[in-house]
Amino acid sequence: MSGIQISNLKFSYASAGGFHMHIPRLDIAAGECVAIVGPSGSGKTTLLNLVAGTFVARSGEIDVAGQRLHNMTEGARRRFRIDQVGQVFQAFELLEYLSVAENILLPRLIDPDGRKSSDAQQRIQSLLASVGLQDKADKMPGELSHGERQRVAVCRAMFNRPALLLADEPTGNLDQDNKQKVVELLISQARQHDSMLMMVTHDHSMLDAFERVIDFAELVDSK
Amino acid sequence: MTGAFFLGWRYLRYHRLKSLVLLASVSLMMFLPTATRLLVADSATALTARAQATPLLLGERGGELELVLNSLYFHAEQPPQLPYSALDDVEDSGLADGIPLYTRFRSRGAPIVGTSLDYFEFRNLQLADGRMMGLLGEAVVGANVASEQGIGPGNNLVSSPETVFDLAGVYPLKMRVVGVLARSGSPDDDAVFVDVRTAWVIQGLGHGHEDLAQGKSSGSVLSRAQGTITANAALKQFNEITAENIRDFHFHGDTSGFPLSAVIIVPPDDKSATLLRGRYQNHESGYQVLVPGEVLDGLLETVFTIQNYIILGLMMLSLATIAVVTLVFLLSQQLRRGEFMTLKRMGASRGFVATLIASEIGFVLLGSLVMTAILSWVTRHYATEFLLSLVAL
Amino acid sequence: MMKKLLFWSVLILLGACEEQVTDGSRLDDHVSKPLVLTSNYPLYYFASEIAGDVVNVQMPDIDGDPAMWVPGAADIPQLQAADLIVINGAGYESWLAFTSLDTDRLLDTTEDIQDLLLPIESATLHQHGPEGEHSHESIAFTTWLDPQIAIEQAGAIARGLSALVPAQAEAFETRLALLEKRLDELDGSFEQVFTNLKNQPLVFSHPIYQYLQKRYGLNARSLHWEPETEPGTRDWIDLGNLLREHPAKLMIWEATPLDTVREKLVHMGVRSVTFSPAGNQPDQGDYFMVMKDNLLQLSVGMGQKQ
Repeated sequence: MSGIQISNLKFSYASAGGFHMHIPRLDIAAGECVAIVGPSGSGKTTLLNLVAGTFVARSGEIDVAGQRLHNMTEGARRRFRIDQVGQVFQAFELLEYLSVAENILLPRLIDPDGRKSSDAQQRIQSLLASVGLQDKADKMPGELSHGERQRVAVCRAMFNRPALLLADEPTGNLDQDNKQKVVELLISQARQHDSMLMMVTHDHSMLDAFERVIDFAELVDSK
Repeated sequence: MTGAFFLGWRYLRYHRLKSLVLLASVSLMMFLPTATRLLVADSATALTARAQATPLLLGERGGELELVLNSLYFHAEQPPQLPYSALDDVEDSGLADGIPLYTRFRSRGAPIVGTSLDYFEFRNLQLADGRMMGLLGEAVVGANVASEQGIGPGNNLVSSPETVFDLAGVYPLKMRVVGVLARSGSPDDDAVFVDVRTAWVIQGLGHGHEDLAQGKSSGSVLSRAQGTITANAALKQFNEITAENIRDFHFHGDTSGFPLSAVIIVPPDDKSATLLRGRYQNHESGYQVLVPGEVLDGLLETVFTIQNYIILGLMMLSLATIAVVTLVFLLSQQLRRGEFMTLKRMGASRGFVATLIASEIGFVLLGSLVMTAILSWVTRHYATEFLLSLVAL
Repeated sequence: MMKKLLFWSVLILLGACEEQVTDGSRLDDHVSKPLVLTSNYPLYYFASEIAGDVVNVQMPDIDGDPAMWVPGAADIPQLQAADLIVINGAGYESWLAFTSLDTDRLLDTTEDIQDLLLPIESATLHQHGPEGEHSHESIAFTTWLDPQIAIEQAGAIARGLSALVPAQAEAFETRLALLEKRLDELDGSFEQVFTNLKNQPLVFSHPIYQYLQKRYGLNARSLHWEPETEPGTRDWIDLGNLLREHPAKLMIWEATPLDTVREKLVHMGVRSVTFSPAGNQPDQGDYFMVMKDNLLQLSVGMGQKQ
């Protein structure tokens, strides 16, 4: 089974007094693009982290692209994130000391099994071309605009052809024009690679592009 | 883990200034104690080598260290003078050969060493250009003097007046450079060598003037009477010995009373050396015979003690440096928490991040080690000469 | 990879080639002869006679009287290259006062016969300033003119050469003996001629014949005249005064005087005779030929009737 199946997921932070999250059920189909909306602090980011395997649930089941996250060791979850998950963040999170091409290569660099291969350069070039930044491979992030940086982040996220693309408020630091572009880019990349897209946002102007919008408040069990 | 090394290296390269400052600090921290030890050890060896190569020194009774430093390293501090007859006494004893030294004068800071041709054979000094001095007024210069002052055979050198107001005493003598010595890595490289008699000419003990009897110099003559000719002040005292005036040069008085700074004694064997030392033990002349090596050992003992204090101080400094460098690192890691978090979120292990940080430290340490090695090599090669030249000041 | 290998191989090969360089230029197969320099002609002659062709005997290129020679910078390389420098001593080489030489290579041929040297008083005293009056006291230096002293000097040369080339010491001794014999013969010839002059008052044009004077008991006074110079009025007056108390009939010159001077002297009753001390290389002949000629001149001068 591909797609995401969450069942009776319970999570709480170890330290923060009082934060609990209970998601009885969530299903996302393979290749589906969903937007998740809700007030800040409600736990949307936490959901993304759980789905990525960064956080571990107290109880319940999470299956992502056929992988049973709730049964995995930490090492297996890291492996899963490298291979199956691409992430785009609000603050772009590019490494300022690596070039555009090197930033895109980052998933390979952090991979303990990552090997140097000639196809990496081809992949980088084609990704950059697909976002219209083919001439920026040797530039440093500091030389790019916010919109360009986020596009590079998208390329980085897609480098390993992940099954799941997670975007946490990806338009938060962009102007209106770029917001639109980035959202369209995310969706088109997801479609192109047959990946699922889960985008967290509280910008309702972006929602039209999505085939499905999840209200986070309705997702969680507030009890 | 090569990805971690790559990221570590790229981080350092991007923050060039910070990396260089760290590198410099750590390098200095490693280098300074090393350099101190090297310098002291090498200088001691060099100083000692020269002292060991000088069997005995004869001088007027007085400061032993002064005599040794002036005779071996041409230190500006002059020992009490002794007469040339002291050299004759050594030669007449049949126990050793003597080499005169008169180091009173300077030429643009370089010591003028009045000596004999035997000195060059004794110190195993070779010519790099030109020839040895042969006539009064000729000079042979050390390699450094030649390169620093841009002079060679055919050029001139002038002795420096001893005081600004030196009107009647030592006057500048223009000397002809006829040879340049090959580099020896010793104080000889920084000296100007002349015949001891030329040094006496600088002092004004000898001079030339037109032959008053020939009648050419009537303007200089006050009176002629009964085979006695009195000259007036207009009579020229040459400040240059040329082919035209050289035969008029002469010394007044008995040259055996003329001054020397020291005599290098070269005995053929230890027995002769011992006999000579014994003779001068309570000599009526009051002269002293020294073994330069022994005098220097005393000096070096003090130097080594000082060295230890210096290294102790440097160790303290190193601790402080380590503390600061550690602080810088910790602050840096603090600032990069977000970056590390992103990496972990992307799937990097804790080990990866640790390796990344460690590699940055490792590169700085490695760079510092290389830097320290290079600086140590440079110190070994050049600093000793520089230090010895400081001794001669 | 291949490029790197090639590069390093070439570099190593080049390095290996460097080692093939021949060590320095090939010297002559025969060892060059030791160089012996002498400060005047008599010493040159004696050294050549004693050494044969075992060593290379040379004299510096001197124009005029070697006693007046001042070496210049151009002469120093030759002096420094010499393995042995043979000097007359007795103050002959005034240039020793302003030259730097390796004293080990200096051979003073009159060093061991200081008791035989004769002093002369300087013609002039000169003084300056607070140091007061002084004179340049001199030793007479034409020592070789006394053949017995010449023998001593030759002996010193032979000893010096033997120290330089010990293998040839015997040969040097043999040749020295021959030279000594000839000098003895010369002594005899001088004795014969000078005996006739023994009690006669003589005048020397210049004070350079002290050793002849001493050896052969000559009754002579010295002037300070130069052969090529016309004496001044004062000089003629001084000579006249001298002749009154020292009625010499013969004046001995170191070189041929001016005709005018010679004629004037003849008017004063004094015949001129040339006796060359042979300080420098003669145009023709050798040392003994010059001395033989000197004797002939003397004989002719003595035998000549007015």
